[in-house]
Amino acid sequence: MLSLDVLGPGGPYRSRRQETIRDLAGNTVATLSLAPSLYITRAIKSLRRAPALPVDARIAAFAQAARAFATQPIAGLTVQEYQHTVSAVTGIPITVVRNATDDIARAAERIHHSVENARPAGAVSSWRDPRTRDGAAVWTRRGAVFAVHAAGNHPAVHQGWFDALALGYRVAVRPSRREPFTPYRLVTALREAGFGDEGIAFLPTDHNVADDILRHADFGMVYGGADVVGKYAGDRRILPQGPGRSKILITAEAEWEPIVDTIVESISSGGGVGCVNATGVLVEGDPSPVAAAIAERLAALPSLPATDERAVLPVQPVGLARRWDAYLRQRAAGTKAWLGGDGIVDDLGDGSAVLRPAVHQLDSPFAEQLGMELGFPCAWVAPWDRDAGIRPLRDTLVLTAVTTDANLIDDLVAEPTIANVYVGDHPTPWMEHGLPHDGYLAEFLMRTKTIRC
Amino acid sequence: MVEHTGGEFVREMMRWHFSPETGSPFWLKRAETLDFDPLTDVRDFDDLGLFPNVVDELRDVGVRGLIPRGYGDEHGAAVYESGGTTGQPKRVMYAAEWHRRSVEWFSERLDSHGVPRNVDWLSAVPSGPHNVGAMAADAAMTRGGLNFSIDLDPRWVKKLLAQGRTDMADAYTDHLLEQIGYILASQDVGVLFATPPMLERLAQHDDLVELVNRKVRAIIWGGTHLDADTRDLLRDEVFGSAKLVGGYGGTMMLGTSVERPGLGDDEPCVFDSFAPYTTFRVIDPDTGQVVPYGERGQIVVHHMSRSALLVNNIERDYATRIAPVDGGFGDSVADVAPVASFGDTTVIEGVY
Repeated sequence: MLSLDVLGPGGPYRSRRQETIRDLAGNTVATLSLAPSLYITRAIKSLRRAPALPVDARIAAFAQAARAFATQPIAGLTVQEYQHTVSAVTGIPITVVRNATDDIARAAERIHHSVENARPAGAVSSWRDPRTRDGAAVWTRRGAVFAVHAAGNHPAVHQGWFDALALGYRVAVRPSRREPFTPYRLVTALREAGFGDEGIAFLPTDHNVADDILRHADFGMVYGGADVVGKYAGDRRILPQGPGRSKILITAEAEWEPIVDTIVESISSGGGVGCVNATGVLVEGDPSPVAAAIAERLAALPSLPATDERAVLPVQPVGLARRWDAYLRQRAAGTKAWLGGDGIVDDLGDGSAVLRPAVHQLDSPFAEQLGMELGFPCAWVAPWDRDAGIRPLRDTLVLTAVTTDANLIDDLVAEPTIANVYVGDHPTPWMEHGLPHDGYLAEFLMRTKTIRC
Repeated sequence: MVEHTGGEFVREMMRWHFSPETGSPFWLKRAETLDFDPLTDVRDFDDLGLFPNVVDELRDVGVRGLIPRGYGDEHGAAVYESGGTTGQPKRVMYAAEWHRRSVEWFSERLDSHGVPRNVDWLSAVPSGPHNVGAMAADAAMTRGGLNFSIDLDPRWVKKLLAQGRTDMADAYTDHLLEQIGYILASQDVGVLFATPPMLERLAQHDDLVELVNRKVRAIIWGGTHLDADTRDLLRDEVFGSAKLVGGYGGTMMLGTSVERPGLGDDEPCVFDSFAPYTTFRVIDPDTGQVVPYGERGQIVVHHMSRSALLVNNIERDYATRIAPVDGGFGDSVADVAPVASFGDTTVIEGVY
């Protein structure tokens, strides 16, 4: 059994209070220390006092940590053991976890692209740059300590805080108790690679203490549902990361048949557990043939234990799966079910169940279900027309717009609540290191100053 | 007050509270609606379960009616109130003899922990209608010290927190810390009596921590819970040069229990009550049965003194049941914590 200690500025800390982490079958896999409030207060204070590494050392440490994370034993776990543990505990298909491992490593290796791309073109990164002799914009941190309430839905979400560390912030990661293994491994690798105990901390806490991490840090990022977004909406120090509500729009002049693969991939790749997985599919014209086609393709995905090499769908404890199922059916009332209407739970017989895909057709682009994002492949297909306009497309993390209408694309790109627009045959989960996911985090964490030396 | 066997003590208390010459108007009247006779049916501690839990009646009963007639005019009564988190506070009466005795016992327990006498106290505990403030003042005086105190209204803080106004609660706490800082800086304080949240807030200020570590030789905590991990940190990392002594008390138990001395750092914090007057039972809330030693259950408090009869009061707190010290009554309790509820996981939309 694994013991995941708190990794604080004074080294590892094991609390008396221990949270038990179980796999889907109910076996105990690990115990997790939970830091009390006083520990958090003191830890963040120490992080604040610690100096930031020079930028070159940060980039080098990321590269070294990337190699270790993806290839070497860390804290007694080989990569394979780590991946198996994540899959067995979270029900994320093992191949998805493996891909995420590589993805995380690549993101760490290429972290300088992300940071450099985010820097305003006219700004230099240090007051020592010779251009400051005549006066130059210097890119500087707005604070010292960045905290994140991390998510546990997918290992790769932890890339979300890399930029803060690369920019020289000291970072406190509060892991999801659903999946602490990835941040534990990452934080350990980054500490060993050069960030040290005072550069980055792994601070699991119970719910009551969670806010303390944000309160003591300068800036924070919180993943959660609409409730979390609402809670922090008025706090300018906090960047809430809410539901992605990613969507696909297909206008009338575009052929949908050739992009069915892309739609299916958008809905279901990575097990459908990501914020970049498409939730809404809007079709100008009759949406029925599109719904029928994607339902047929998604119906063919096999039900397998998450650790099976061929698994592609997420697995959950059967009780939780049934609650999701009941919730889905309640919310889907009055819609047309193309897939999953008679249940999405496929009991594996070991206490866990596969969450099978669901496809429902709505009769209006304004139906409230369109933005309903759940942790498995679940799509809502709706009609769309020019009168509806971009209103139903708002509040979208990734919008794939299959259209040739440049005016419409103008509007979509201009819409502030759409974070990314992919025009044409590109799946919504597509990402490239160095490109912003929901804006660059640096937009939130950095500012420019005029420096003249 | 006489202590013989548990049964003799219980019967003596029944005679006091239910005899027309000595009992309080409240209990003499209340006895009419009991379906048992306290004078004949209550022979020992185990029979206290017959009594209804009357603490909620203390929200609106006239406090004068709580004074046992046996005291005559010499009761010297003081009135104290419960925290008052939910609705109207509950009120109890401490006769002067009980308060004095309670303070003496508290002080003896502090001796057993090696808390120094003849040093001055800083008491950052609830004042006003809360007994703990009076207890601090009189304990300090009994032990030859001056007591420096601050105004601390816990109800206002709880109200702010319940309304989500953490900024206001923080401002109030900062105000309290400022008062504490003035005393710590200018006075030679040897004992700090504070609630755990105050200690945690104090720990955030390096200058105050430095003052405490330079001057204070014992820290007494009480009034709210302190989890074992935070206690370790306060003792080992923050206030390394002061002795920590915990109390678990409440207005409805008419005093406090005090941490058992002589336990190692890795052992849980065990509280022994002021038996036989105040005794604990740790029960399974579903069955009402006492749990085995070492198991967790809900705390039931009995208080029986000439001052008051408040038995069978089920607290919200949970604890591990521990054997009392030799010859003791009831249970001792360890790792006291508020009721923790773990509801079903509900479905929250979104993938996080």
